[in-house]
Amino acid sequence: MNKCEITFGKMKWKNPVTVASGTFGFEYAELFDLSHLGALTTKTITPESKAGNEPQRIVETEAGLLNSIGLQNPGVDEFIKTDLQEYRKFDTNLIVSVSASSINKFVSLLKKLDAQNGIDAYEINVSCPNVENEGIAFGTDTEIVFDLTKKLRAVTDKTLIIKLSPNVTSIMDIAKHAEIAGADGLALINTLYGMAIDVEIRKPKLHNIIGGYSGPAIKPVALQNVYKVAQAVHIPILAMGGISSVNDALEFIIAGATAVAVGTYNFVNPLGTLEIIEGIQEYCRSHNISYKNLIGSIQT
Amino acid sequence: MYFKKISVLKIESINDEYFMLRIRDKELTKNIKPGQFFQVKDPNAAFPLLPRPFSVYEVENDRLSFLIKIVGESTKNLSFLEEDHFIQLLGPLGNGFPLVQNKKVLLASGGIGYAPMPYLEQILIEAGNEVMFYHGGRSSNDVFCDDVQNCTEDGSCGYAGLVTEHIEKCFDSMDIDIVYACGPEAMLKVLIGICAERNIPVYVSLERVMACGVGACCGCVIKIKENDSIVYKKVCKDGPVFDGAKVVWDE
Repeated sequence: MNKCEITFGKMKWKNPVTVASGTFGFEYAELFDLSHLGALTTKTITPESKAGNEPQRIVETEAGLLNSIGLQNPGVDEFIKTDLQEYRKFDTNLIVSVSASSINKFVSLLKKLDAQNGIDAYEINVSCPNVENEGIAFGTDTEIVFDLTKKLRAVTDKTLIIKLSPNVTSIMDIAKHAEIAGADGLALINTLYGMAIDVEIRKPKLHNIIGGYSGPAIKPVALQNVYKVAQAVHIPILAMGGISSVNDALEFIIAGATAVAVGTYNFVNPLGTLEIIEGIQEYCRSHNISYKNLIGSIQT
Repeated sequence: MYFKKISVLKIESINDEYFMLRIRDKELTKNIKPGQFFQVKDPNAAFPLLPRPFSVYEVENDRLSFLIKIVGESTKNLSFLEEDHFIQLLGPLGNGFPLVQNKKVLLASGGIGYAPMPYLEQILIEAGNEVMFYHGGRSSNDVFCDDVQNCTEDGSCGYAGLVTEHIEKCFDSMDIDIVYACGPEAMLKVLIGICAERNIPVYVSLERVMACGVGACCGCVIKIKENDSIVYKKVCKDGPVFDGAKVVWDE
């Protein structure tokens, strides 16, 4: 049977499906064995704990979700003590998403994590739109992405994935710089900037006014970003952005993604990842194509 | 916690604002605590995208009921569903009310805050508690049962006036050990105040816009006093029931 196994950087995945950072947790282990996923991706971890942003933090729109969570997390030390031990129980790859407010802090954060067992990869979140002075401030500058990636590469041998923002002039430039600096893979896209206004009180619906936009509405935007980056680099792409069905996932793979991540759709259907894994395998069977050949098989 | 797609047993319209959604399932009805909720969605509806949280109104063997107020697209669409139409449910979720035994208990609800109360009342009575039940609404449209102390702002049913005014009178005439409440924030704030004056513990069930419902996304947080600081707690997982004295209300 074609299980659609993949190699992503130094990792072997049993199937090409993971979850997008911040949209999933081991809470869902009550519903299904998380070991069925190709990889697990944690919520973003920072050097110190972060309380997160003032509520209102989420707003639903016509076909998507605005969020301004602000990287709420317990900090790396607490993460190592508690959450990491939970995540390690599952027989699959673990991608730890990380963010920090300076290159030096990124480096020491990664060093701390690298001393732990059970981590297979790092997703470097340089693209969160909801925190000041970190996140997106790094990911929109090609030189900083290059410098950061290079310094992190020197710290770890594990798979290094740079998560890119679509809120830039040329995502291809940034992708290429990450690749040259030694990234093993790229994750894209992080959320788009978005906002919503309550017309009755004429106030923004999010306390932070502007947030990150995810969900089905952003899929075409994400798809063209993945397509463009796939033309520009040779390292594997972990694609995300509104994936809500098998068909959505296949579009990204055909556009050039090696693996896909389900995000907002976890909130709609917590078993969606499993349906997408089965659907991709079924597609490969019924279309008599190997998964490897399906990647980037777009006919233009 | 289960995630299931099951058919609607019955939709019963109560009036133009409220309806009852009934389903039947052996697993979902296992071990539900009063005050817990389910995330409910019509899986065939692309819009609205996210499920909506509804408190458990009644559990009777394998039958589960939700009292729902029509406030937007999701609730309106659910109210139109036909019997045998499939809906998806995730739950039971949240902490539920902390239960007591052999106490004098007061239940206080306002409007759709009535939803979690009848099941809570049933369990409290089974645990040997003496239960007073006060419910308030704008008009008789917001009143669901004659067997409770109803209060309406327009006087169309039960006592005229705010439910909190009548609860205060009740406090003056009898000793209440603990209060459980669910309703509009304005009502809960007043209630928490009058409970604090009398040193009566009060537990409130809160509502916030939610995405995941299980504690993964951190979207539905509220501020809670903890030791000497104020921390964010997730309404979906740490709540929806909180110690009223510790809630820090949004501005």
